[in-house]
Amino acid sequence: MAIELMNVRFHYPEQPSQTVLNIPSWSLPGGKQVFVHGPSGGGKSTLLNLLSGLLMPNEGQVEILGKRLDQMTSRKRDRFRAEHIGYVFQQFNLIPYLNAFDNALLASQFSRRGKKSVAHDEIKQLFKSLNIAENDWHRPARNLSIGQQQRVAIARALVNKPQLLIADEPTSSLDSTNRDAFMALLMSIVTDSGITLVFVSHDLALSRYFNRVESLSDINRLEGST
Amino acid sequence: MIFTKLALQSLLDRKGSVALTLMAMSVSIFVLLGVEHIRHQAKESFSNSVSGADLIVGARTGNLNLLLYSVFRIGSPTNNIRWETYQTIAGSNNVKWAIPISLGDSHQGYRVLGTTTDYFQHFSYGKQHRLVFSLGRAFDQVFDVVLGAEVAKKLGYQLGDELILAHGIATTSFSMHDDRSFTVVGILAPTGTPVDQTLHVSLQGIEAIHIDWQQGIKMPGSSRSQTEVEQADLQPGSVTAFMLGLESKMTTFRVQRAINEYAQEPLLAILPGVALSELWQMMSILENTLLLVSALVFVAACLGVSAMLLSSIRERSLEIQLLRVIGAPPYFLFFLIELEALLITLLSCVLAAAFLAACLVLLRDYSVSNFGLHMEINLFAENSFYLFAALIITSIIIAVIPSFSGYRQAKVIQG
Repeated sequence: MAIELMNVRFHYPEQPSQTVLNIPSWSLPGGKQVFVHGPSGGGKSTLLNLLSGLLMPNEGQVEILGKRLDQMTSRKRDRFRAEHIGYVFQQFNLIPYLNAFDNALLASQFSRRGKKSVAHDEIKQLFKSLNIAENDWHRPARNLSIGQQQRVAIARALVNKPQLLIADEPTSSLDSTNRDAFMALLMSIVTDSGITLVFVSHDLALSRYFNRVESLSDINRLEGST
Repeated sequence: MIFTKLALQSLLDRKGSVALTLMAMSVSIFVLLGVEHIRHQAKESFSNSVSGADLIVGARTGNLNLLLYSVFRIGSPTNNIRWETYQTIAGSNNVKWAIPISLGDSHQGYRVLGTTTDYFQHFSYGKQHRLVFSLGRAFDQVFDVVLGAEVAKKLGYQLGDELILAHGIATTSFSMHDDRSFTVVGILAPTGTPVDQTLHVSLQGIEAIHIDWQQGIKMPGSSRSQTEVEQADLQPGSVTAFMLGLESKMTTFRVQRAINEYAQEPLLAILPGVALSELWQMMSILENTLLLVSALVFVAACLGVSAMLLSSIRERSLEIQLLRVIGAPPYFLFFLIELEALLITLLSCVLAAAFLAACLVLLRDYSVSNFGLHMEINLFAENSFYLFAALIITSIIIAVIPSFSGYRQAKVIQG
């Protein structure tokens, strides 16, 4: 399994009485793509932060790619995230004052994967495969269009060859043309590379790209919810 | 490399607030560096001014006054010493050499020193450096003059040029010895001491220009020719002070006591090193106060940098979150903010040093002519490195406040 959650409970430290997530069991096989939908404020981002190891459950087990994140040290989780997990957000995917190339290069610096020259070559290949024009490579990220920024964000997320890709409403700031182009590109990459994808969005129209669609309320069994 | 680039680009992205902080920091480092450099240079310049003399002897006055007027040409003597007294002491067994000094005249603001050729043979400065002629030779005629390097350079004198001395030491004098001209026969190599701003003539030369003068005024009706003056009795009646080199250092205190107890005339003998340390002791309160004020200005500037970085952390919460998501550990944020503070400090150090060097170039002549202080442009003396290291360490320590705040924010995302 790429993802396996068992008896996970989570609440924020400042509100210990308010459980945000209660997941008795949830799993996703490796290489599969799942679409998770749910309303805003339903705990989607918290779930993704648990999957990426940014947050730790108060109870239960979080196993990602066969490793127990809840048993790792903070430093190991950071390293694991850098090496195995890619992340694409709705917005602010890139450091605005760095250029597109350096944004991707920065992500490669936190993993142990390769030498600098190898990272450079891989980023160039990645940018070419994602049709990012060469004259955009060295432009500050803030000067790129939203569509270009999202393509660079995918490149940045893929630079360390992750086995798990987490996408948090990545299309919500795109128009329908750009959204469809983005989804087509993303799905072809994850399918071709066998990357496990957890895609979270409130836009149910995107569910057509996925074989597995789940509602967050089915995963997150909060007491008193139906 | 990418981390340095990240810190640098992040600062460039906030160029408005960073530029103001950089200016405040640069000014504070300029003040601190300037005070320290001037302090160091003044000490070095004073300490280097005389190194070979075991004792300096003058009419009874304060230790510092004697040191200042005899070596640094600052201030005025209280009285002269009779020539016979000088000869008696200079001729005693314990004395290896003696250099008489006669002060009181000037040329275009530069002091004239009457002495003997022993001056060129025995006077030393810095680490026992002897005087060297860059051009010409020592004086051997009554109206010969040897110029210090600065005098020759500033006034554009060459060998063979003639010049007239003025009575008194004011920059503008109305009593000129214009009936007797001196010929430049030698120019000394630069020493970085008051010697560079001095014109050296023989004691006989000093006597010659004061023939027919009384109480600092030329007597009307006197019209002796230069040749007649040269043939007159030019035995000096008195000297202002003299320096002594002793046969043995062991006898220094004995000779000093003997001179201080000299019955025929009230005299004062000082050890130049001891008098200098008295001077530093007097100056240390002022020095330390200046240094403390400069250090406080720097700490205030460091706190300004910290405040700027601290407020930027709130604006950078999304950036911090993004860095965490791509695998940056919380301590990376700590070091990133420390690096930004370090870059500001380093750049401020460079700007401050460049500005100070420019000021030193522009004010060098002014400092030499007004204070007799030679200022080296080279700021990278050993103590400057310690100062730069202290500045960097201080800025790193003060930047711990915003850095820790960044670290904590990164930790909070982690839960």
